[in-house]
Amino acid sequence: MKRRFNILSDPRFRLVYGDVRNFREGFKPRKLRLNREQFELLPDIKKKTQVYPGMLLAEHPSLEKGDLHAPVYGVISDINVRSIFIDVLEDSAVDASAFPAVERVELLNSDLRGEDLVLAVKKLGVNTRSLGQRARTLVINGLNPEPGITWAEAMLIGYADEIKAGIELMRRFGRADEIILAVPKGAVVHVDGIRTVEVEPEYPNSISELLIKQITKKENPEGWASVGIHNVWSLGHVALTGLPLMDTVITVSVEDHWANYVVTNGSIVGDLIEYTGEPLKNGDTILRGGPLRGESLDQLDRSITKGTQGFFVVRKGTIPPMEGDSICVNCGACMLVCPTRIDPRMLSRYAEFNKYDMSRKENFHLCVDCGLCSYVCIARRPVLQYIRLAVNKLRQEEAMAKLTPVVPVSKD
Amino acid sequence: MSKSANKDIMVAISVPPFWHCGRTIRGNSIYTLIALAPAMLAAFAMWGLPAIRVVALSVFTAMACEFLCQKAMGQKPSQHDGTAAVLGVLFAFLLPAAAPWWLVVIGVGCAMCLGRMAFGGYGTNPVSAVLVGWALVFVSFPTYMDATSTILATDLFDPLLRLKQFGAADVAGISCTDLLLGLQLGGLGAVYAGLLFLGGLFIIFRGVIRWEVPLTFLIGVAVTAFCFQMADPARYAGPLFHLLSGSTMLAAFFLATEDSCSPHRRLPMCLYGLTGGALVVIIRIFGMYTDGAPFAVMLINLLAPMFGLVVTRPFGWKKGDK
Ligand code: SF4
Ligand code: SF4
Repeated sequence: MKRRFNILSDPRFRLVYGDVRNFREGFKPRKLRLNREQFELLPDIKKKTQVYPGMLLAEHPSLEKGDLHAPVYGVISDINVRSIFIDVLEDSAVDASAFPAVERVELLNSDLRGEDLVLAVKKLGVNTRSLGQRARTLVINGLNPEPGITWAEAMLIGYADEIKAGIELMRRFGRADEIILAVPKGAVVHVDGIRTVEVEPEYPNSISELLIKQITKKENPEGWASVGIHNVWSLGHVALTGLPLMDTVITVSVEDHWANYVVTNGSIVGDLIEYTGEPLKNGDTILRGGPLRGESLDQLDRSITKGTQGFFVVRKGTIPPMEGDSICVNCGACMLVCPTRIDPRMLSRYAEFNKYDMSRKENFHLCVDCGLCSYVCIARRPVLQYIRLAVNKLRQEEAMAKLTPVVPVSKD
Repeated sequence: MSKSANKDIMVAISVPPFWHCGRTIRGNSIYTLIALAPAMLAAFAMWGLPAIRVVALSVFTAMACEFLCQKAMGQKPSQHDGTAAVLGVLFAFLLPAAAPWWLVVIGVGCAMCLGRMAFGGYGTNPVSAVLVGWALVFVSFPTYMDATSTILATDLFDPLLRLKQFGAADVAGISCTDLLLGLQLGGLGAVYAGLLFLGGLFIIFRGVIRWEVPLTFLIGVAVTAFCFQMADPARYAGPLFHLLSGSTMLAAFFLATEDSCSPHRRLPMCLYGLTGGALVVIIRIFGMYTDGAPFAVMLINLLAPMFGLVVTRPFGWKKGDK
């Protein structure tokens, strides 16, 4: 019904694109900007340090977050609180024998199991938070996560080895009783030794909660969790190469041309656009992530980091511009479209006027972050972003409330 | 900065989302105007200059009032979004073609200033602004609002007036085709039931309004009229007559569907429409006014928050949750 009556009749919401080509490699960055927030730098990592591919740069204190490795031969040109900058050396200028060899870790052939394996994977730079979820059934989400992002089919078909290796390691984590693979309906996908279920490839079915609803026909059933195929691919990639994770797969889309690339972690978006050969024009918007949930970047020297799923250039004038403060006109489109049946209309207003505590009454925590409310808003309100604001504010408040007040020690 | 040819490009930071359904307030207004255009042209063809004058004056006054109010309230003028024009046209559609200029100005002025701007602007009014203005002039100047008494040089008649005064037997002979084509007296645009129906379908398919409200509204009218007719065919007219006469179609597609005055979820929308449809017939039969449709819409507008109370279980709701 939603489709028929033009609320959601966007053909782009169909999450299959029929592209199973291998990912394009060959983009050579000239500079890198690696995100180091919350990482602990190794002591000898300083400005001017020479780095080589696979060299450990920083560790993350959390067991769920992968460590940071240098992906290329190069020299660290700068380090600040947020980033490590690396000037990449030309291949010809590198004498590989001058650097220590990186040891390959054959995870598949090792007898590491359980928590030891999780640790080994983390040390290889892979985030294990969603891969190692504890659940009765863990669903691998084989749908493209968001409209416009197109790598999932290729991963399922062209990169079945990576996926298989990834699944094998996830089994050895021993944290989920059963692992199943959700694939788009109609796709001929067969990965040995794993149960597949078909789901209608229609956004927002790719959102974890809604995917599970599609499979179980229940809303938020207990014991179910899901993990994106992007993560499984990364895990499998590490398992097959034996090297730390140093790149990511992203969809790069300019206007309506798109392709999938394997991109070095930390690549600068400006270089990437130039590499694709699509000139950027004044007033275009560039964004990292996806068109419904992503963030717009203010500068071309921002970078693509490991978890990034896509990079988009949206031409000026493709979407109606936002005018003024875009006051909500009570049209109710967001309420009708919201898959969790909460009230984005009121939620966005509470956030707009700093009435965060009111959001609790409206079940703000149920929001699954699909962005459809903003997509349909006729007043062009950033509805989802308002809700995210409230979610963050309230989360902070709750965290603050949990801290025990410090009692000052009297000096005597 | 990266050393690249892109260095001098200014990228625009924009608010998410970066894909949009394309529907905007302005777009919706334009579609609504397009949907109203056939009926408007038919009215122009039928009544000529007086009708053109009423519509033009109504639209102009609506925009001017909106502009003045916005200036006074320190808001940004928003005449370009077309909502004032839609209000003006809808208001004109309810007037007789021979309405005097001051009636138009007072009515549409009240509609805009009291009906809409007093609440803060487009989308904030709890009751259809058009109808607020209409009710005001209708109650204050009933003779001027009555097409039968203002338009003398015509063979057409107001079917609802005939029904009221002479009973169902008298209107039984009226051909539905005539009603459908708008060969009746009433609001200058409201009577073109067929054209408004087509216009209504158009905006439904453009996603401007939601099908639930008009559909259930029309069902409400039909079912209620049918029940009455079954009870006493000699006194009560049938469903088709009620659907096609007066401003039923205008109310179902263009008045009752105003977003800010109607509920937003499916079940409440259906209840809202059904109630509205039933009220149209009930007011026509028991009320003292001939056409119940505008009053019915005002009533359901007022009831809308109540329909909205129908509980929607949020995602993942389990028994025992609040
Ligand atoms: S992003 Fe918007 S539409 Fe999606 S679940 Fe959250 S509130 Fe609902
Ligand atoms: S879609 Fe936008 S304008 Fe409409 S109710 Fe939601 S927030 Fe308000």
